[in-house]
Amino acid sequence: MKALRPLGLLALLALAVLFPLLFPNPAVDTVAVLTVLFATAVTAWNTFSGYSGYISIGHAAFFGIGSYAVAILCQDWHVPGGYLPFLLLPLAGLIAVAFAIPMGWIALRTRKHTFVILTIAMFFIMQLMAFNLRSVTNGSRGMSLPIPVSWSGAFYDLPFYYVGLALLLVAVALSWWIRNSKYGLGLLAIRDDEDRARGLGVRTGAFKLTAFVLAAFFFGMVGGLHAYFVESIFPAFAFDPLIDLMVALMAFLGGLGTISGPLLGAVILVPAQQFFTIWFNKPGFYLMIYGAMFLAIILLLPQGIVPALRGRFTKAETLAGPVRSGDDGDVAAAVAWAGDVGDGERGGGA
Amino acid sequence: MRLIVDAVITGVLSGGIYVLMALGLTLIFGVMDIINVGQGALVILGAYLSYLLQQHLHIDLFVGLILTMPVMFALGVGLEAAFIRPIRWERTTLSILVTFAIALLIQGALSLTFSTNLVQMHAWYVSHSLKIGSFYLAWVYIFDFLLSVVLVAALYVVLNHTKFGAGLRASMQNRTAAQLIGIDVERVSAITFGIGVALAAAGGMAYGATSAFNPNSQYDLISRLLVIIILGGMGSLRGAVVAGFGMLIVEDVTSVVWSPVWASTVFYMLLVVVLVLRPQGLFGRLESRRQ
Amino acid sequence: MHRRIVAFVAAAVLLVGAGLAAAQGPIKIGISLSLSGDFSADGQGFQNGYELWADQVNASGGLLGRQVKLDIVNDNSSPDQVQTNYQKLITVDKVPLVLGPFSTLLTKPASVVANRYGYAMVEGAGGAPSVFNRGLKNVFDVALPVINDLDSFTQYILSLPPGQRPSTVAYATNDDPFTQPQIERSRKLFEAAGLKTVSYQTYPSETTDFNPIADKIIQSKADIVVAGTFMPDIVAFVQRFRQQHYNPQALIATAGPDLGSQFTKAVGGAQVAEGILVPNTWYPGADNPGNAAFVKAYLAKFGGAAADINGDAAEGYAAGQVLQQAVEKVGSLDNAKIIAELHSGDTFQSILGPVTFNSVGENTAAKAYLFQWQQGQYLPVYPLAAAVAPFEYPKPAWH
Repeated sequence: MKALRPLGLLALLALAVLFPLLFPNPAVDTVAVLTVLFATAVTAWNTFSGYSGYISIGHAAFFGIGSYAVAILCQDWHVPGGYLPFLLLPLAGLIAVAFAIPMGWIALRTRKHTFVILTIAMFFIMQLMAFNLRSVTNGSRGMSLPIPVSWSGAFYDLPFYYVGLALLLVAVALSWWIRNSKYGLGLLAIRDDEDRARGLGVRTGAFKLTAFVLAAFFFGMVGGLHAYFVESIFPAFAFDPLIDLMVALMAFLGGLGTISGPLLGAVILVPAQQFFTIWFNKPGFYLMIYGAMFLAIILLLPQGIVPALRGRFTKAETLAGPVRSGDDGDVAAAVAWAGDVGDGERGGGA
Repeated sequence: MRLIVDAVITGVLSGGIYVLMALGLTLIFGVMDIINVGQGALVILGAYLSYLLQQHLHIDLFVGLILTMPVMFALGVGLEAAFIRPIRWERTTLSILVTFAIALLIQGALSLTFSTNLVQMHAWYVSHSLKIGSFYLAWVYIFDFLLSVVLVAALYVVLNHTKFGAGLRASMQNRTAAQLIGIDVERVSAITFGIGVALAAAGGMAYGATSAFNPNSQYDLISRLLVIIILGGMGSLRGAVVAGFGMLIVEDVTSVVWSPVWASTVFYMLLVVVLVLRPQGLFGRLESRRQ
Repeated sequence: MHRRIVAFVAAAVLLVGAGLAAAQGPIKIGISLSLSGDFSADGQGFQNGYELWADQVNASGGLLGRQVKLDIVNDNSSPDQVQTNYQKLITVDKVPLVLGPFSTLLTKPASVVANRYGYAMVEGAGGAPSVFNRGLKNVFDVALPVINDLDSFTQYILSLPPGQRPSTVAYATNDDPFTQPQIERSRKLFEAAGLKTVSYQTYPSETTDFNPIADKIIQSKADIVVAGTFMPDIVAFVQRFRQQHYNPQALIATAGPDLGSQFTKAVGGAQVAEGILVPNTWYPGADNPGNAAFVKAYLAKFGGAAADINGDAAEGYAAGQVLQQAVEKVGSLDNAKIIAELHSGDTFQSILGPVTFNSVGENTAAKAYLFQWQQGQYLPVYPLAAAVAPFEYPKPAWH
């Protein structure tokens, strides 16, 4: 069983790399680009929110900041359409980081419940700024990005797909590394019991903030890539509160705090959403279907697909199910912090 | 100066409407640790119900509340039993997703039934105003304000002078302890959710009487309501009242002395400053090691 | 095998379903419309217009002798979806022609996708300046460029003799790419002519409480009010102005009063709407080729009164007409030829009036009409050639 794992991962990777060649239809590839972008975002989000238990509904702000960063840089530096704008992505990520540090510092002073709503408030402040700082953002008229005129319809999606896939691989590798590092254990300890974690010597403030900022870095790059992909941005679309709700739903669907879960969530939900929108074109009906699906997922699979499957198929790992409130959380944190790196992805469970 | 006075008056009168909606939200959070993101959609649903009664049965908007509030109360109790109670872990976070899903369902159903054309409600008090000195006060705002005062007072009495209120307050302070001393917390939760939704119905009617709405209006509402309860302190009723009025007054005054586009920014900034100084909000309790 | 998988996935993910039409079957025309989300009301207006146009084409012999079939997909008012949709329409459904979506916000991404495949995009709802300044050669807006909508109003006011001419103006506009450029332009024109700006406000499009904005206008005691609004904001302004007994000599809104009984109902009756102005590029009584037939067909299919016909429907219909004439002139479905024809400077006929495109795709022949509510009727009052009633100026006091 264990030996098969690397092989399976390799096969998945090969599938991801070859996808546009196997399925060359541009419409399919457009959905694939969006899926890869969301998968990157949810992986980064999960590295902060899934591990630390601090649910952020405001990281879409950094998506928007990244979008505007690329748009503004392209405009000011007269970057032509083509491969050059891709080089701006790390810079867009860093600009998002510059915003994330003070915002995270303020937001993380509050505890989990207030934090959720505070991130929403900060998100809206940023959205309002995009509307109001007209000299920088061009306000509600939005901005246009350079058009790579020489890219044909059949080719267009490919560069975006592979750049997105590269971001995704970096994000997953980082998430996996953090999950198996002492730093990651510190984050998990915060999720289980923050006061206890602090008592055990985890520098909770610094741990939370770095994870928050790291996620923002990826959101900034994803936002920038997305802006270039759609080639025009508007405040309400670049700063879209639904992005975070989508991301949170993906993580919960797949399994919060696991590495494969959020990826699975993205692979299911992005195509599903596009599909539903096209299929149910009666006004309102689409929303109802979507809402019902949402409810069904949460109520029937509250822990997410990956933990549920794992619980069913591998006896040895049933113990590594989600750490429920109260019961053995404290012990888990203490044991985890003592350096007993568990094999299961979630919780290091007791 | 005249403009500022006008803005303050408008802020106070319309603030009452937001207080009603926010009270429901903060009450639910206080008792259940649930953030009801669906409150905005429920408010709009309440507005549509009042509109229906007025259109088809010619029942006055305010009188119609006698019908819509109990209906919405029952809906709230039902929603709690069906969707909130089954949540067993990550209560707060999952509740956001669940109530968001409920909001989508409501929004979808309303779009399907009423289309997304804007609705504006009419009554003599919507277009006529009372002249006091050189000020004109629209009757609808006065009535809305009185309605908020009456409902807030009623809520106050229920909470402080009934047995149910005592149970509710106990549950707010400590859910587990309340359970231990024999309070049926599940029942209290269901009723609380019902009250919260009934208040949304009243708020929805009041809101609908002063502004045009459609099923998509829920997004504007919910973001403002969340900000109000977090500024006031999550779970604090007093906080919701102060922050509700505060928000509208600050916005309306900023709007006339500076610019409408900065109105909500100023308010949000104020929120951030308050939270830096007092992470628990104006009247909130520090979050203890709940979990 | 490989092909099968491709086909299967494409079908599963994107619903090709019936996409295997024979080459000589009907001509499919791909359109993405906002049938849900923020723009759903307008999206449906456009759907009605496009469908009526297709009915009319099919009833009169089709396009190039073939029937026309609309392939309409929903984009939920989302730019991501609009991008997927046009790719799906072009590459999966293999439609030979496309028509535009609703609003500037979605036309921008849509036109770029169409451009990638060399498709012409004739549209009626992407009129903001940013659609035309991107160097795209394939986008054509049959409606008046949005920025010129208020021109007939400014011309009228400036044509008044000095004694009647207002001297102060208050502006308030929704922060939206549709409204804001118009208001900006009319302010420039008025200020250049010496009319004083006593209040200029921009407010966010999410605003729900319009009273402080209305109060500031009232306080400015402006002679005329120019409002960059949609339905909810103009209704709120009217209500507040009435409550506060503020009577400007003229009140014009960029949009809202053009929605027929939906507007009069919202403000509380036709008598309240008396004297309110709105610019528009189309009206049911317009003497343009095919307009009478359009109105008749619309009422037959959707019911209601002529005054309630949504302007969006007319714009969708006109976009279809222009595409149809271009296709017929070149005699083929070759998009490169169609684009060249649309750029040729030829004049096309539509229910909005004549259509001639400049090099960036703006309709330079479009006219702006000015409408006024008079005794419950929505009437063109300017320019004089189209006027059916004298301009009611100043506006009477609130009922």
